[in-house]
Amino acid sequence: MKKNIVYIILQLLFALPFFGKAQNNLTLEFNHLVGNKMLVLFDSTYHNSLNEPFVVNKFKYYISNIVVYNKEKKVENNGYYLINTENSNSQTIQLKTATKNIDSIAFTIGIDSAKNAEGIQTGDLDPMNGMYWTWNSGYIFAKLEGQSDSSKAASNYFNYHIGGYKHFENAIQTIYLKVVKPQETIHKIVIDVDVLKWFNGKHSIAINKIANCVQPGNLAKQIAENYATMFSIKAVQ
Amino acid sequence: MRIFFTIILFICFAILGTSFIYIAKYRPTPLKFIVPKGWPKPVYNLKQNPLTVEGFELGRKLFYDERLSKDSTISCGSCHQQFGAFATYDHNLSHGYNNSLTTRNAPALQNLAWQKEFMLDGGVHHLDAQPLAPITAENEMAETIENVIYKLQRDTAYQRLYKAAFGNSTINTQRTMKALSQFMLQLVSNNSKYDRVQRGEDSFNLPQKLGYEIFKQKCVSCHVEPFFTDFTYRNTGMQMDKYLNDVGRMKITSNNNDSLKFRVPSLRNVMITFPYGHDGRFFGLSNVFEHYRSKMQPIATTDTLLKNKLYLSNFQIGQLTSFLYTLTDSVFIKNPKFAPPNFSNKPYEHIH
Repeated sequence: MKKNIVYIILQLLFALPFFGKAQNNLTLEFNHLVGNKMLVLFDSTYHNSLNEPFVVNKFKYYISNIVVYNKEKKVENNGYYLINTENSNSQTIQLKTATKNIDSIAFTIGIDSAKNAEGIQTGDLDPMNGMYWTWNSGYIFAKLEGQSDSSKAASNYFNYHIGGYKHFENAIQTIYLKVVKPQETIHKIVIDVDVLKWFNGKHSIAINKIANCVQPGNLAKQIAENYATMFSIKAVQ
Repeated sequence: MRIFFTIILFICFAILGTSFIYIAKYRPTPLKFIVPKGWPKPVYNLKQNPLTVEGFELGRKLFYDERLSKDSTISCGSCHQQFGAFATYDHNLSHGYNNSLTTRNAPALQNLAWQKEFMLDGGVHHLDAQPLAPITAENEMAETIENVIYKLQRDTAYQRLYKAAFGNSTINTQRTMKALSQFMLQLVSNNSKYDRVQRGEDSFNLPQKLGYEIFKQKCVSCHVEPFFTDFTYRNTGMQMDKYLNDVGRMKITSNNNDSLKFRVPSLRNVMITFPYGHDGRFFGLSNVFEHYRSKMQPIATTDTLLKNKLYLSNFQIGQLTSFLYTLTDSVFIKNPKFAPPNFSNKPYEHIH
């Protein structure tokens, strides 16, 4: 009898870390598209609304300050996540949150000024990830690089490095997405991310006029307003 | 049954015991940061990066390690030389990767704990972020952060030093920058003759005394004591160099009012940090004085204090120069603590 009790206690001790885990996980999955085609880096040629052909070589961006709303409350997550199209593991975010009656989510593209002003960070925020300006300290919020026959830059490259957190150049964008068909429990939200919106989300950006945007300022703010429209909820599970 | 309990207990004690051993292993020696008497509190948050002897030593090794550059030829110390108060001695611009030149005169590294922004245009907002700029600049060390970390990670000597400084041998950007900061924070210059006079340990001779009086009338509004800079950005009427096209502070703020503004440099150790000016265009102090009293060309963004230039007589220039000599801190530039590891800068101490 005594022996059994010891076993039970031991088993409980081992099981402790697993308790309550399964039910409270919400996964955000980012699904990258160009218009209605899947995004494939390097190999596929796409066309923007001005019919300029382009190839995408690099596409990554920061998601932070994720807020999940349900009827009663909102749950905030203070993580910073680098979504990188080169790395499929980075395209899902696991959140610990109540999964009942979720009606909307919100998040920021970029890094808030408080975090920007701190020293050097690790993990997704490590400047080693190539999302940091060293000559004018601050994070690059989103990066889209590729080649286009319309580009008038060297090797037909186009480089859009968008960022800026100071008040006069603030390119931070907050995205708010409503769950159209609410379910009682949601474990996964699949979010479509459309690269085409970089060129026509709100302002028209022509690669043959603008092949480079690599510093904070008005142009970066415009492109940020463009890509703020690239997210939509594809499905909930 | 008893044996069973004894085994369980034994295992528990064993686990507890090893954890203590692990904790006991990481005990770095704290290093005190001494704020000189009468100086303000440092701007750098020392709580976020507690100074230790091990962290400082790691930082010093990194500071003098050429492998931080693309072809392993340039270290931080290559352009920030101790005998020149950690500026590049006798160079208007510094030498970078593959015969390139920088676009600005390397500033002296001193009293950085009190400085809020870095680079002559203030583009870098934290001391920990500063080394990333010269490491990645194409005309400086031209390396990527990724490669630097990769090279360090493969060096067992560094693995040991990181473990001693931070508790385990993880080598990442954050720790590398923190260690470099630990070294740079200790670069405090406060032992010049001027400082000794302020502490009542020494006295000025007559030209130095007269020079100090003139300094307090003519220079002190921007070169504020005890740092001899107010850390602001000002246009001193220097025309833009047509090859460098350097707009200064405006590059960071995109504000036309900041055109051709650069940070007021500290005058500490000024005698050994020549040439002068943000691009090193002034060969010596006499060129600087000549600029202020006659050659400058005030434009719209030129500092209001300099709209009518800065009148200085030959006599005043002579006395001012005498005073500026008192700002050279020979204790600082000869302190073996700041020299490359295993380097003796005392050649007269030969042991036969």
